[in-house]
Amino acid sequence: MNYSAILSGTLLIALMLSGCGATTTIDEYRPTTKAMQINSEESVVILGRRDAGHYDTDREFIDCVAKKMEGADIQVLPERQFIDSIYPWFEPRTAPKGLKRLTRLMKNPAIKKQVRNQKLRYLVWIDGSTNTHDRGGSISCAIGPGGGGCFGFAQWEKSSIYEAIVWDLSDLTEKGRLRVDSTGTSYLLGVVAPIPLLTPVKNDACTSLGKQLKQFFSVATNSAQNNSDSSD
Amino acid sequence: MPTAKITFFTALLALVLISGCSSSAQVQVQSQFPQVISQPKPINGVIVFSEEFQNYIATPSKNTTIDLGVAQTNLLRNAFSGLFANIEFVSSSDQVSLENALIITPSVTEVQISTPSDTYLNVYEVWIKYSLDIADADGQQIDSWFMPAYGKTPNSFMLSKSNAIEEAAIIALRDAGAKLLLDFYRIPSVYNWVIEKEKQEAQK
Repeated sequence: MNYSAILSGTLLIALMLSGCGATTTIDEYRPTTKAMQINSEESVVILGRRDAGHYDTDREFIDCVAKKMEGADIQVLPERQFIDSIYPWFEPRTAPKGLKRLTRLMKNPAIKKQVRNQKLRYLVWIDGSTNTHDRGGSISCAIGPGGGGCFGFAQWEKSSIYEAIVWDLSDLTEKGRLRVDSTGTSYLLGVVAPIPLLTPVKNDACTSLGKQLKQFFSVATNSAQNNSDSSD
Repeated sequence: MPTAKITFFTALLALVLISGCSSSAQVQVQSQFPQVISQPKPINGVIVFSEEFQNYIATPSKNTTIDLGVAQTNLLRNAFSGLFANIEFVSSSDQVSLENALIITPSVTEVQISTPSDTYLNVYEVWIKYSLDIADADGQQIDSWFMPAYGKTPNSFMLSKSNAIEEAAIIALRDAGAKLLLDFYRIPSVYNWVIEKEKQEAQK
């Protein structure tokens, strides 16, 4: 009897945990299938769009994508460091929304000098947010002199939608676009103690976007780069 | 344990918990602002930071105060340095020593905040409305320019009210610096004054 109860309990938990996976879709657009060349001394900066009224692309997500990319020998410049180094031209009010405006900015010798000093080659804009919707169920907790506990069941769905656009600062062109769409449902069971079964939707979106962005780039060593330059 | 004691301790516990939910905040904005990347125009500028401006404390609601004085003085000192090749900072207009200068006296018109309890949004927002009184070296007013600045926190998760308002205020101050650098020479009256000065210099 005990064994069957334990087995049923384990099965139930396994079943619920299996329902906690996120579904992630990535769409990619690149004008060419060739990987983007980046010198080992050059760097990439990942920036969040913060000009929309109702949401901000959060810094936590930007840092997460930057960490995922760093693993591929790509030097990633911290977002805050870059924005401060070029203040006030990448604030929400002033950041270029398109290549035309970027081209105009890069005509400013002081801005160009800052970009060169930091050996910055690519700029990746990330725009999007994670939202919670479709909340359901209810859970209530109570405490009294004799003890306390929670009873009930709640669930909610989260969706993370982010778009990344890669700009090449050497020729001021767009090199590609990526869109990640991740959804998943989380649960909270109240069986005396509250048991959260959370789906890491945002983390899944970050991992997928970071991995895919990494594949955009191909790191060339200085000697290889020089050889290819001389053969041209 | 007698019932009176249980009631007393429960009431005390409830009082402690409720006092933790107090919504008052005294915010001191402390931040270092980055140096601006800009090419200043060859114009003389005098910035008058009055004592009141340097020690300004905003009271956007009866439970909230924001000490903006030091931070806004540092920010504007930095931003104005990106506009004028020759610049002087004084605390009253009778201390001006630069000749043929634009004399600018900034002041705060209003500071507003909004919190998640006001808007049901998951963000804290701060608006700072500045007024810049712009005059020429003879004291003739050229313009009084209204300069709004806005900042918001990405979300309010795990942020105390004071920290969230400070973060939003820093973003608003950075926005003020950006607006100033972007738009100052686009103010029609200032633009005309600069053109006139350039003509006068050319005729000399």
